[in-house]
Amino acid sequence: MSTQESSGPARVVPNWESCIDCGACEVACQRTWNLPPESDRIKVVAMAHGTEDETNKPMQCYNCSEAPCVEVCPTEALFFRDDGTVRVSGDMCIGCHYCGVGCPFGAPQYPDAEVPEAAESEPVGARGNGLMDKCTTCEPRQEHDLEPACASECPTDALLYGTPDELSEKLAEDGVSTPFNDEAARIVFGDDADAVMGEGP
Amino acid sequence: MTAEIVFNEPITEWGWKVGVYVALIGIAGGAYLAGYAADVVSYRRGSAGHGAIAKWAYLVGLGGLVIGPPILLSHLATPLRAMLIPLTMTNLGSWMTIGAYMLGGLGIGSTLMFLWLAFGTERPHARAAGRESAVADGGRDVASDGGPARAATGDRTVGGFRGVADRVGLLGAVDSVADVTRPSEKTRLLLGALFGVFAAGVLLYSAMAYGEGSAQRVALWEKTFLVPVQIFSGLGVGLVTALALAAVFDRTPGAVLRTYATAAVGLLGATALALAATVVLLPGQRPAATAGVENLLGTHALAFVGVSVVLGLLVPVALLVAAVLGERRGSLSETAVVSSYVTAAALATVGKVTLAITYLMAAEFAPMPLPV
Repeated sequence: MSTQESSGPARVVPNWESCIDCGACEVACQRTWNLPPESDRIKVVAMAHGTEDETNKPMQCYNCSEAPCVEVCPTEALFFRDDGTVRVSGDMCIGCHYCGVGCPFGAPQYPDAEVPEAAESEPVGARGNGLMDKCTTCEPRQEHDLEPACASECPTDALLYGTPDELSEKLAEDGVSTPFNDEAARIVFGDDADAVMGEGP
Repeated sequence: MTAEIVFNEPITEWGWKVGVYVALIGIAGGAYLAGYAADVVSYRRGSAGHGAIAKWAYLVGLGGLVIGPPILLSHLATPLRAMLIPLTMTNLGSWMTIGAYMLGGLGIGSTLMFLWLAFGTERPHARAAGRESAVADGGRDVASDGGPARAATGDRTVGGFRGVADRVGLLGAVDSVADVTRPSEKTRLLLGALFGVFAAGVLLYSAMAYGEGSAQRVALWEKTFLVPVQIFSGLGVGLVTALALAAVFDRTPGAVLRTYATAAVGLLGATALALAATVVLLPGQRPAATAGVENLLGTHALAFVGVSVVLGLLVPVALLVAAVLGERRGSLSETAVVSSYVTAAALATVGKVTLAITYLMAAEFAPMPLPV
Protein backbone atom coordinates (compact mmCIF):
# COMPACT_ATOMS: atom_id res chain seq x y z
CA MET A 1 0.00 0.00 0.00
CA SER A 2 1.43 3.33 -0.97
CA THR A 3 1.04 6.12 1.51
CA GLN A 4 3.28 8.68 -0.14
CA GLU A 5 1.07 10.23 -2.77
CA SER A 6 -2.07 10.91 -0.74
CA SER A 7 -2.84 13.84 1.53
CA GLY A 8 -2.41 13.59 5.26
CA PRO A 9 -0.82 10.89 7.37
CA ALA A 10 -1.78 7.24 7.14
CA ARG A 11 -3.92 6.13 10.10
CA VAL A 12 -5.63 3.06 11.45
CA VAL A 13 -9.38 3.56 11.94
CA PRO A 14 -12.00 0.97 12.82
CA ASN A 15 -14.42 -0.45 10.29
CA TRP A 16 -17.52 0.08 12.36
CA GLU A 17 -19.39 -3.05 11.35
CA SER A 18 -16.77 -5.74 11.16
CA CYS A 19 -15.20 -6.16 14.59
CA ILE A 20 -15.99 -9.53 16.16
CA ASP A 21 -14.15 -8.89 19.42
CA CYS A 22 -11.56 -11.59 18.80
CA GLY A 23 -8.68 -9.57 20.26
CA ALA A 24 -6.29 -10.48 17.45
CA CYS A 25 -5.29 -6.82 17.13
CA GLU A 26 -4.25 -6.65 20.78
CA VAL A 27 -2.20 -9.81 20.49
CA ALA A 28 -0.61 -8.71 17.23
CA CYS A 29 0.45 -5.38 18.72
CA GLN A 30 1.94 -6.83 21.88
CA ARG A 31 3.67 -9.70 20.09
CA THR A 32 5.11 -7.56 17.31
CA TRP A 33 6.68 -5.04 19.67
CA ASN A 34 7.29 -7.31 22.62
CA LEU A 35 5.09 -5.13 24.80
CA PRO A 36 4.20 -5.99 28.39
CA PRO A 37 0.69 -7.27 29.10
CA GLU A 38 -0.16 -3.94 30.72
CA SER A 39 0.22 -2.22 27.38
CA ASP A 40 -3.02 -1.17 25.70
CA ARG A 41 -1.88 0.54 22.53
CA ILE A 42 -4.95 -0.99 20.95
CA LYS A 43 -7.84 -2.50 22.86
CA VAL A 44 -11.27 -3.86 22.04
CA VAL A 45 -13.67 -2.03 24.31
CA ALA A 46 -17.35 -2.22 25.05
CA MET A 47 -19.24 0.89 24.08
CA ALA A 48 -22.64 1.81 25.47
CA HIS A 49 -22.05 -0.96 27.96
CA GLY A 50 -25.20 -2.35 29.54
CA THR A 51 -27.54 -0.86 26.96
CA GLU A 52 -29.27 -2.30 23.92
CA ASP A 53 -26.71 -0.45 21.83
CA GLU A 54 -23.75 -2.18 23.45
CA THR A 55 -21.11 -2.96 20.91
CA ASN A 56 -17.42 -3.83 20.89
CA LYS A 57 -14.94 -1.78 18.93
CA PRO A 58 -11.17 -1.61 18.66
CA MET A 59 -9.82 1.70 19.93
CA GLN A 60 -6.37 3.18 19.63
CA CYS A 61 -4.67 6.47 18.88
CA TYR A 62 -5.96 7.98 15.62
CA ASN A 63 -3.04 10.40 15.22
CA CYS A 64 -5.52 13.28 15.17
CA SER A 65 -4.81 16.26 12.95
CA GLU A 66 -6.12 18.53 15.73
CA ALA A 67 -4.82 16.38 18.54
CA PRO A 68 -5.95 17.73 21.94
CA CYS A 69 -3.19 15.70 23.59
CA VAL A 70 -0.51 17.70 21.76
CA GLU A 71 -2.24 20.92 22.72
CA VAL A 72 -2.31 20.21 26.44
CA CYS A 73 1.02 18.43 26.90
CA PRO A 74 3.10 20.83 29.02
CA THR A 75 6.48 19.43 28.06
CA GLU A 76 5.90 18.88 24.33
CA ALA A 77 6.51 15.20 24.92
CA LEU A 78 3.65 14.77 22.47
CA PHE A 79 4.38 16.26 19.11
CA PHE A 80 3.56 16.02 15.44
CA ARG A 81 6.12 14.31 13.30
CA ASP A 82 6.85 15.62 9.85
CA ASP A 83 4.47 13.08 8.35
CA GLY A 84 1.63 14.39 10.54
CA THR A 85 1.42 11.49 12.96
CA VAL A 86 1.53 12.04 16.71
CA ARG A 87 4.44 10.66 18.66
CA VAL A 88 5.31 10.69 22.35
CA SER A 89 8.87 11.16 23.56
CA GLY A 90 9.75 8.95 26.47
CA ASP A 91 12.51 11.38 27.32
CA MET A 92 10.13 14.28 27.87
CA CYS A 93 6.95 12.77 29.34
CA ILE A 94 6.45 13.51 33.03
CA GLY A 95 3.40 11.28 33.46
CA CYS A 96 0.99 14.08 34.36
CA HIS A 97 -2.00 12.43 32.58
CA TYR A 98 -3.04 15.75 31.01
CA CYS A 99 -3.22 14.02 27.64
CA GLY A 100 -5.39 11.32 29.17
CA VAL A 101 -7.93 13.92 30.23
CA GLY A 102 -7.70 15.77 26.92
CA CYS A 103 -7.97 12.88 24.45
CA PRO A 104 -11.58 12.30 23.36
CA PHE A 105 -10.88 8.69 22.49
CA GLY A 106 -9.16 7.43 25.62
CA ALA A 107 -6.03 6.52 23.71
CA PRO A 108 -3.24 7.52 26.13
CA GLN A 109 -2.14 4.72 28.40
CA TYR A 110 0.12 4.82 31.44
CA PRO A 111 1.25 1.24 32.02
CA ASP A 112 2.86 0.61 35.36
CA ALA A 113 4.97 -2.15 33.91
CA GLU A 114 8.61 -2.10 34.91
CA VAL A 115 10.09 -1.60 31.49
CA PRO A 116 12.97 0.61 30.42
CA GLU A 117 11.89 4.06 29.39
CA ALA A 118 11.89 4.46 25.65
CA ALA A 119 14.42 6.79 24.18
CA GLU A 120 14.18 8.80 21.02
CA SER A 121 16.57 6.37 19.41
CA GLU A 122 14.03 3.65 19.99
CA PRO A 123 10.76 5.43 19.39
CA VAL A 124 8.49 2.43 19.22
CA GLY A 125 9.81 0.75 22.34
CA ALA A 126 7.62 -0.01 25.27
CA ARG A 127 7.04 2.59 27.93
CA GLY A 128 6.17 1.95 31.50
CA ASN A 129 6.72 3.29 34.94
CA GLY A 130 3.69 5.54 34.62
CA LEU A 131 4.79 7.28 31.45
CA MET A 132 2.39 7.80 28.59
CA ASP A 133 2.29 5.16 25.90
CA LYS A 134 0.39 5.08 22.64
CA CYS A 135 0.17 3.54 19.19
CA THR A 136 3.11 4.31 16.90
CA THR A 137 1.33 3.14 13.75
CA CYS A 138 4.10 0.54 13.45
CA GLU A 139 6.49 2.95 11.81
CA PRO A 140 9.23 0.34 11.14
CA ARG A 141 6.72 -1.89 9.36
CA GLN A 142 5.65 1.01 7.15
CA GLU A 143 9.25 1.44 6.06
CA HIS A 144 9.01 -2.07 4.66
CA ASP A 145 5.69 -1.26 2.98
CA LEU A 146 3.78 -3.27 5.55
CA GLU A 147 0.56 -2.28 7.26
CA PRO A 148 0.49 -1.90 11.02
CA ALA A 149 0.39 -5.26 12.75
CA CYS A 150 -3.14 -4.83 14.07
CA ALA A 151 -4.63 -4.04 10.66
CA SER A 152 -2.54 -6.73 9.01
CA GLU A 153 -3.70 -9.49 11.33
CA CYS A 154 -7.34 -8.51 11.82
CA PRO A 155 -9.31 -11.47 10.39
CA THR A 156 -12.37 -9.41 9.47
CA ASP A 157 -10.74 -6.28 8.08
CA ALA A 158 -12.18 -4.32 10.96
CA LEU A 159 -9.15 -2.06 11.01
CA LEU A 160 -8.68 0.14 7.99
CA TYR A 161 -5.33 1.69 7.27
CA GLY A 162 -4.50 4.49 4.90
CA THR A 163 -4.27 8.17 4.19
CA PRO A 164 -7.43 10.29 4.23
CA ASP A 165 -7.83 9.76 0.49
CA GLU A 166 -7.43 6.03 0.82
CA LEU A 167 -9.74 5.84 3.81
CA SER A 168 -12.29 7.88 1.94
CA GLU A 169 -12.32 5.29 -0.84
CA LYS A 170 -12.57 2.40 1.61
CA LEU A 171 -15.33 4.01 3.62
CA ALA A 172 -17.29 4.58 0.42
CA GLU A 173 -17.41 0.87 -0.25
CA ASP A 174 -20.66 -0.94 0.39
CA GLY A 175 -21.11 -2.27 3.88
CA VAL A 176 -18.48 -0.09 5.49
CA SER A 177 -19.80 2.59 7.80
CA THR A 178 -17.98 5.70 8.93
CA PRO A 179 -16.59 5.36 12.42
CA PHE A 180 -16.70 9.01 13.39
CA ASN A 181 -19.39 11.60 13.81
CA ASP A 182 -18.79 15.17 12.67
CA GLU A 183 -17.10 16.23 15.90
CA ALA A 184 -14.77 13.27 15.94
CA ALA A 185 -14.00 13.58 12.23
CA ARG A 186 -13.00 17.22 12.69
CA ILE A 187 -10.57 16.25 15.46
CA VAL A 188 -9.13 13.26 13.62
CA PHE A 189 -8.99 14.45 10.03
CA GLY A 190 -8.94 18.22 10.39
CA ASP A 191 -9.32 19.87 7.00
CA ASP A 192 -9.72 16.46 5.38
CA ALA A 193 -12.82 15.67 7.47
CA ASP A 194 -15.37 16.66 4.85
CA ALA A 195 -13.53 14.77 2.13
CA VAL A 196 -13.32 11.60 4.19
CA MET A 197 -16.75 11.71 5.76
CA GLY A 198 -18.56 13.14 2.76
CA GLU A 199 -17.89 10.10 0.68
CA GLY A 200 -18.94 7.64 3.36
CA PRO A 201 -22.23 5.80 3.10
CA MET B 1 -11.21 -9.99 26.57
CA THR B 2 -13.42 -6.97 26.15
CA ALA B 3 -13.03 -4.11 28.60
CA GLU B 4 -16.30 -2.93 30.05
CA ILE B 5 -15.32 0.68 30.38
CA VAL B 6 -14.35 2.77 27.42
CA PHE B 7 -13.24 5.84 29.33
CA ASN B 8 -11.80 6.05 32.73
CA GLU B 9 -13.31 8.82 34.80
CA PRO B 10 -11.18 11.89 35.49
CA ILE B 11 -10.52 10.78 39.07
CA THR B 12 -8.82 7.65 37.76
CA GLU B 13 -6.47 9.79 35.69
CA TRP B 14 -5.61 12.35 38.34
CA GLY B 15 -6.56 11.09 41.78
CA TRP B 16 -7.08 13.11 44.94
CA LYS B 17 -3.62 14.67 44.83
CA VAL B 18 -4.51 16.88 41.89
CA GLY B 19 -7.57 18.07 43.79
CA VAL B 20 -5.53 19.01 46.84
CA TYR B 21 -3.00 20.76 44.63
CA VAL B 22 -5.66 22.75 42.81
CA ALA B 23 -7.24 23.78 46.12
CA LEU B 24 -4.00 24.84 47.77
CA ILE B 25 -2.66 26.89 44.88
CA GLY B 26 -6.06 28.57 44.67
CA ILE B 27 -5.81 29.51 48.33
CA ALA B 28 -2.24 30.71 47.76
CA GLY B 29 -3.22 32.94 44.86
CA GLY B 30 -6.24 34.31 46.68
CA ALA B 31 -4.29 34.94 49.88
CA TYR B 32 -1.61 36.86 48.03
CA LEU B 33 -4.13 39.10 46.29
CA ALA B 34 -6.01 39.72 49.53
CA GLY B 35 -2.72 40.45 51.26
CA TYR B 36 -1.62 42.85 48.59
CA ALA B 37 -4.87 44.77 48.87
CA ALA B 38 -4.31 45.04 52.63
CA ASP B 39 -0.71 46.07 51.99
CA VAL B 40 -1.81 48.96 49.78
CA VAL B 41 -4.45 50.05 52.28
CA SER B 42 -1.88 49.91 55.05
CA TYR B 43 0.51 52.07 53.05
CA ARG B 44 -2.12 54.67 52.28
CA ARG B 45 -3.55 54.84 55.77
CA GLY B 46 -0.39 54.13 57.72
CA SER B 47 -2.22 51.35 59.51
CA ALA B 48 -0.26 48.54 61.13
CA GLY B 49 -3.44 46.49 61.45
CA HIS B 50 -3.87 46.26 57.69
CA GLY B 51 -0.18 45.55 57.40
CA ALA B 52 -0.52 42.60 59.74
CA ILE B 53 -3.20 41.13 57.49
CA ALA B 54 -0.92 41.63 54.51
CA LYS B 55 1.96 39.87 56.22
CA TRP B 56 -0.09 36.88 57.28
CA ALA B 57 -1.72 36.67 53.86
CA TYR B 58 1.66 36.56 52.15
CA LEU B 59 2.63 33.80 54.54
CA VAL B 60 -0.54 31.87 53.72
CA GLY B 61 0.28 32.24 50.04
CA LEU B 62 3.75 30.96 50.67
CA GLY B 63 2.40 28.06 52.70
CA GLY B 64 0.03 27.02 49.94
CA LEU B 65 2.90 26.98 47.49
CA VAL B 66 5.16 25.05 49.82
CA ILE B 67 2.57 22.32 50.31
CA GLY B 68 0.56 22.19 47.07
CA PRO B 69 3.11 21.75 44.24
CA PRO B 70 5.05 18.98 46.03
CA ILE B 71 1.78 17.07 46.32
CA LEU B 72 1.34 17.42 42.57
CA LEU B 73 4.92 16.32 41.97
CA SER B 74 4.26 13.17 43.97
CA HIS B 75 1.47 12.39 41.49
CA LEU B 76 3.77 12.57 38.49
CA ALA B 77 5.68 9.64 37.07
CA THR B 78 8.91 11.63 36.85
CA PRO B 79 8.81 14.41 39.47
CA LEU B 80 12.48 15.26 39.17
CA ARG B 81 12.15 15.72 35.44
CA ALA B 82 9.08 17.89 35.96
CA MET B 83 10.98 20.14 38.35
CA LEU B 84 13.29 21.21 35.54
CA ILE B 85 10.59 23.64 34.53
CA PRO B 86 12.57 25.93 32.21
CA LEU B 87 13.80 22.88 30.33
CA THR B 88 10.69 20.74 30.35
CA MET B 89 7.71 23.09 30.47
CA THR B 90 8.07 24.42 26.95
CA ASN B 91 4.54 24.28 25.54
CA LEU B 92 3.28 27.74 26.39
CA GLY B 93 -0.09 26.85 24.90
CA SER B 94 -0.72 24.41 27.74
CA TRP B 95 -2.29 25.75 30.91
CA MET B 96 -0.14 23.41 32.95
CA THR B 97 2.93 25.15 31.56
CA ILE B 98 1.40 28.57 32.08
CA GLY B 99 0.49 27.56 35.60
CA ALA B 100 4.00 26.32 36.38
CA TYR B 101 5.51 29.67 35.49
CA MET B 102 2.75 31.54 37.30
CA LEU B 103 3.44 29.47 40.39
CA GLY B 104 7.13 30.23 40.11
CA GLY B 105 6.46 33.95 39.88
CA LEU B 106 4.03 33.83 42.78
CA GLY B 107 6.50 31.85 44.84
CA ILE B 108 9.16 34.49 44.35
CA GLY B 109 6.66 37.26 45.02
CA SER B 110 5.22 35.72 48.17
CA THR B 111 8.68 35.08 49.55
CA LEU B 112 9.95 38.59 48.91
CA MET B 113 6.83 40.38 50.07
CA PHE B 114 6.71 38.33 53.24
CA LEU B 115 10.41 38.80 53.83
CA TRP B 116 10.17 42.56 53.43
CA LEU B 117 7.17 42.86 55.76
CA ALA B 118 8.22 40.41 58.43
CA PHE B 119 11.94 40.91 58.74
CA GLY B 120 14.41 43.73 59.03
CA THR B 121 14.77 46.70 61.30
CA GLU B 122 12.92 49.00 58.94
CA ARG B 123 10.10 46.70 57.96
CA PRO B 124 6.92 48.48 56.88
CA HIS B 125 3.73 48.46 58.91
CA ALA B 126 5.63 47.57 62.08
CA ARG B 127 3.94 48.52 65.28
CA ALA B 128 5.36 51.44 67.19
CA ALA B 129 8.11 50.58 69.66
CA GLY B 130 7.04 50.32 73.23
CA ARG B 131 3.41 49.79 72.45
CA GLU B 132 1.76 47.55 75.01
CA SER B 133 0.36 45.02 72.66
CA ALA B 134 1.20 41.84 70.91
CA VAL B 135 3.50 42.16 67.99
CA ALA B 136 2.20 41.68 64.55
CA ASP B 137 4.64 38.94 63.78
CA GLY B 138 3.15 36.45 66.10
CA GLY B 139 4.75 36.83 69.49
CA ARG B 140 3.95 38.54 72.75
CA ASP B 141 6.90 40.79 72.28
CA VAL B 142 5.73 43.88 74.14
CA ALA B 143 8.81 45.72 72.97
CA SER B 144 7.30 45.86 69.47
CA ASP B 145 8.28 44.31 66.21
CA GLY B 146 10.11 47.41 65.12
CA GLY B 147 13.57 46.00 65.48
CA PRO B 148 15.51 42.81 65.72
CA ALA B 149 13.80 40.54 68.16
CA ARG B 150 16.84 39.95 70.25
CA ALA B 151 17.70 43.61 70.47
CA ALA B 152 14.16 44.60 71.26
CA THR B 153 13.55 42.04 73.90
CA GLY B 154 16.87 41.50 75.52
CA ASP B 155 17.06 37.89 76.53
CA ARG B 156 13.40 37.23 76.01
CA THR B 157 12.38 34.86 73.30
CA VAL B 158 9.91 36.18 70.83
CA GLY B 159 7.22 34.05 69.24
CA GLY B 160 6.00 33.52 65.70
CA PHE B 161 8.17 33.22 62.66
CA ARG B 162 10.65 35.79 63.94
CA GLY B 163 11.00 33.73 67.06
CA VAL B 164 11.60 30.62 64.97
CA ALA B 165 14.25 32.43 62.97
CA ASP B 166 15.77 33.67 66.20
CA ARG B 167 15.90 30.23 67.77
CA VAL B 168 17.71 28.76 64.79
CA GLY B 169 20.14 31.64 64.84
CA LEU B 170 19.13 33.13 61.54
CA LEU B 171 17.12 36.14 62.62
CA GLY B 172 19.98 38.58 62.34
CA ALA B 173 20.96 37.32 58.93
CA VAL B 174 17.42 37.31 57.62
CA ASP B 175 16.82 40.78 58.99
CA SER B 176 19.93 41.97 57.22
CA VAL B 177 18.89 40.37 53.94
CA ALA B 178 15.48 41.98 54.22
CA ASP B 179 16.89 45.40 54.93
CA VAL B 180 19.46 45.19 52.17
CA THR B 181 17.05 43.97 49.50
CA ARG B 182 13.96 45.95 50.46
CA PRO B 183 13.24 48.69 47.93
CA SER B 184 11.38 51.88 48.66
CA GLU B 185 7.76 51.48 49.63
CA LYS B 186 6.45 52.65 46.28
CA THR B 187 8.79 50.33 44.43
CA ARG B 188 7.91 47.47 46.76
CA LEU B 189 4.23 47.97 46.09
CA LEU B 190 4.85 48.20 42.36
CA LEU B 191 6.71 44.91 42.51
CA GLY B 192 3.88 43.55 44.61
CA ALA B 193 1.45 44.48 41.87
CA LEU B 194 3.62 42.63 39.34
CA PHE B 195 3.63 39.57 41.55
CA GLY B 196 -0.11 40.07 41.88
CA VAL B 197 -0.42 39.36 38.18
CA PHE B 198 1.15 35.98 38.85
CA ALA B 199 -1.23 35.46 41.77
CA ALA B 200 -4.21 36.25 39.58
CA GLY B 201 -2.80 33.87 36.99
CA VAL B 202 -2.50 31.12 39.57
CA LEU B 203 -6.06 31.75 40.69
CA LEU B 204 -7.26 31.45 37.11
CA TYR B 205 -5.05 28.44 36.52
CA SER B 206 -6.61 26.73 39.52
CA ALA B 207 -9.78 26.66 37.43
CA MET B 208 -8.28 26.17 33.98
CA ALA B 209 -6.20 23.23 35.17
CA TYR B 210 -9.41 21.24 35.22
CA GLY B 211 -10.67 20.10 31.86
CA GLU B 212 -8.37 22.19 29.74
CA GLY B 213 -8.02 21.32 26.08
CA SER B 214 -9.86 21.72 22.83
CA ALA B 215 -11.91 18.59 23.40
CA GLN B 216 -13.33 19.90 26.71
CA ARG B 217 -14.27 16.42 27.72
CA VAL B 218 -15.58 17.14 31.21
CA ALA B 219 -18.78 19.15 31.10
CA LEU B 220 -18.93 19.56 34.89
CA TRP B 221 -15.78 21.65 34.64
CA GLU B 222 -17.39 24.18 32.31
CA LYS B 223 -15.22 27.24 32.73
CA THR B 224 -18.08 29.73 32.77
CA PHE B 225 -19.12 28.28 36.11
CA LEU B 226 -15.88 26.91 37.46
CA VAL B 227 -13.77 30.06 37.12
CA PRO B 228 -15.99 32.16 39.43
CA VAL B 229 -16.10 29.30 41.94
CA GLN B 230 -12.32 29.06 42.03
CA ILE B 231 -11.71 32.81 42.14
CA PHE B 232 -14.22 33.56 44.89
CA SER B 233 -13.26 30.54 46.96
CA GLY B 234 -9.52 31.15 46.57
CA LEU B 235 -9.85 34.77 47.63
CA GLY B 236 -12.30 33.98 50.42
CA VAL B 237 -10.39 31.11 51.99
CA GLY B 238 -7.07 32.86 51.57
CA LEU B 239 -8.40 35.97 53.27
CA VAL B 240 -10.15 34.23 56.14
CA THR B 241 -7.04 32.15 56.83
CA ALA B 242 -4.87 35.26 57.01
CA LEU B 243 -7.49 36.89 59.19
CA ALA B 244 -7.48 33.97 61.60
CA LEU B 245 -3.70 33.93 61.85
CA ALA B 246 -3.60 37.66 62.48
CA ALA B 247 -6.27 37.30 65.15
CA VAL B 248 -4.50 34.42 66.88
CA PHE B 249 -1.01 35.78 66.93
CA ASP B 250 -1.76 39.47 67.26
CA ARG B 251 -4.65 38.91 69.65
CA THR B 252 -6.10 42.20 68.63
CA PRO B 253 -9.46 41.63 67.01
CA GLY B 254 -10.99 44.96 66.32
CA ALA B 255 -12.32 47.19 63.60
CA VAL B 256 -9.64 46.30 61.07
CA LEU B 257 -10.15 42.58 61.39
CA ARG B 258 -13.90 43.07 61.34
CA THR B 259 -13.51 44.76 57.98
CA TYR B 260 -11.66 41.78 56.58
CA ALA B 261 -14.08 39.37 58.19
CA THR B 262 -16.90 41.18 56.43
CA ALA B 263 -15.03 40.96 53.15
CA ALA B 264 -14.49 37.24 53.70
CA VAL B 265 -18.21 36.82 54.31
CA GLY B 266 -18.85 38.41 50.93
CA LEU B 267 -16.33 36.21 49.12
CA LEU B 268 -17.45 32.97 50.74
CA GLY B 269 -21.07 33.94 50.11
CA ALA B 270 -20.23 34.61 46.47
CA THR B 271 -18.65 31.16 46.29
CA ALA B 272 -21.85 29.62 47.59
CA LEU B 273 -23.87 31.52 45.00
CA ALA B 274 -21.52 30.43 42.22
CA LEU B 275 -21.93 26.81 43.31
CA ALA B 276 -25.69 27.21 43.45
CA ALA B 277 -25.64 28.64 39.93
CA THR B 278 -23.56 25.66 38.82
CA VAL B 279 -25.94 23.00 40.04
CA VAL B 280 -29.04 24.90 38.92
CA LEU B 281 -28.00 26.34 35.57
CA LEU B 282 -25.16 24.22 34.24
CA PRO B 283 -27.23 21.13 33.26
CA GLY B 284 -29.50 23.37 31.21
CA GLN B 285 -26.63 24.97 29.38
CA ARG B 286 -24.58 21.80 28.94
CA PRO B 287 -26.72 18.67 29.11
CA ALA B 288 -23.57 16.56 29.23
CA ALA B 289 -22.94 18.02 32.68
CA THR B 290 -26.16 16.58 34.09
CA ALA B 291 -24.51 13.37 35.23
CA GLY B 292 -21.74 15.25 37.02
CA VAL B 293 -24.16 17.56 38.80
CA GLU B 294 -26.27 14.58 39.80
CA ASN B 295 -23.14 12.97 41.20
CA LEU B 296 -22.44 16.10 43.24
CA LEU B 297 -25.95 16.10 44.67
CA GLY B 298 -26.30 12.33 44.94
CA THR B 299 -23.35 10.02 45.28
CA HIS B 300 -21.09 12.75 46.65
CA ALA B 301 -23.72 14.79 48.46
CA LEU B 302 -22.07 14.31 51.83
CA ALA B 303 -18.77 15.71 50.60
CA PHE B 304 -20.20 18.38 48.34
CA VAL B 305 -23.27 19.61 50.21
CA GLY B 306 -22.27 18.58 53.70
CA VAL B 307 -18.58 19.40 53.86
CA SER B 308 -17.92 21.82 51.00
CA VAL B 309 -21.05 23.95 51.10
CA VAL B 310 -22.46 23.69 54.62
CA LEU B 311 -19.35 23.17 56.73
CA GLY B 312 -16.98 24.89 54.34
CA LEU B 313 -19.01 27.93 53.36
CA LEU B 314 -22.25 28.47 55.25
CA VAL B 315 -20.96 27.71 58.74
CA PRO B 316 -17.86 29.92 58.28
CA VAL B 317 -20.07 32.72 57.01
CA ALA B 318 -22.32 32.35 60.06
CA LEU B 319 -19.32 32.29 62.40
CA LEU B 320 -17.79 35.39 60.84
CA VAL B 321 -21.06 37.29 60.91
CA ALA B 322 -21.63 36.31 64.53
CA ALA B 323 -18.09 37.34 65.46
CA VAL B 324 -18.35 40.70 63.73
CA LEU B 325 -21.74 41.52 65.21
CA GLY B 326 -20.91 40.12 68.62
CA GLU B 327 -17.68 42.05 68.92
CA ARG B 328 -19.24 45.24 67.67
CA ARG B 329 -22.01 44.97 70.25
CA GLY B 330 -19.58 43.95 72.94
CA SER B 331 -21.43 40.72 73.60
CA LEU B 332 -18.53 38.44 72.68
CA SER B 333 -15.24 38.11 74.46
CA GLU B 334 -12.01 38.58 72.58
CA THR B 335 -11.32 34.89 72.93
CA ALA B 336 -14.69 34.01 71.46
CA VAL B 337 -14.12 36.29 68.50
CA VAL B 338 -10.68 34.88 67.81
CA SER B 339 -12.03 31.34 68.17
CA SER B 340 -14.75 32.13 65.67
CA TYR B 341 -12.23 33.42 63.15
CA VAL B 342 -10.00 30.38 63.60
CA THR B 343 -12.87 27.90 63.34
CA ALA B 344 -14.20 29.66 60.25
CA ALA B 345 -10.77 29.53 58.61
CA ALA B 346 -10.24 25.87 59.42
CA LEU B 347 -13.65 24.86 58.11
CA ALA B 348 -13.30 27.00 54.99
CA THR B 349 -9.93 25.45 54.21
CA VAL B 350 -11.26 21.93 54.69
CA GLY B 351 -14.26 22.85 52.56
CA LYS B 352 -12.10 24.26 49.79
CA VAL B 353 -9.94 21.14 49.60
CA THR B 354 -12.99 18.89 49.77
CA LEU B 355 -14.67 20.89 47.02
CA ALA B 356 -11.74 20.44 44.67
CA ILE B 357 -11.57 16.71 45.33
CA THR B 358 -15.32 16.35 44.98
CA TYR B 359 -15.23 18.13 41.64
CA LEU B 360 -12.80 15.45 40.53
CA MET B 361 -14.73 12.52 41.97
CA ALA B 362 -18.07 13.63 40.57
CA ALA B 363 -16.81 14.46 37.11
CA GLU B 364 -17.56 12.24 34.16
CA PHE B 365 -16.18 12.41 30.68
CA ALA B 366 -18.57 13.56 27.99
CA PRO B 367 -19.78 10.74 25.73
CA MET B 368 -17.24 9.61 23.19
CA PRO B 369 -17.75 11.42 19.88
CA LEU B 370 -18.50 8.21 18.06
CA PRO B 371 -21.82 7.05 16.63
CA VAL B 372 -22.60 4.40 19.21
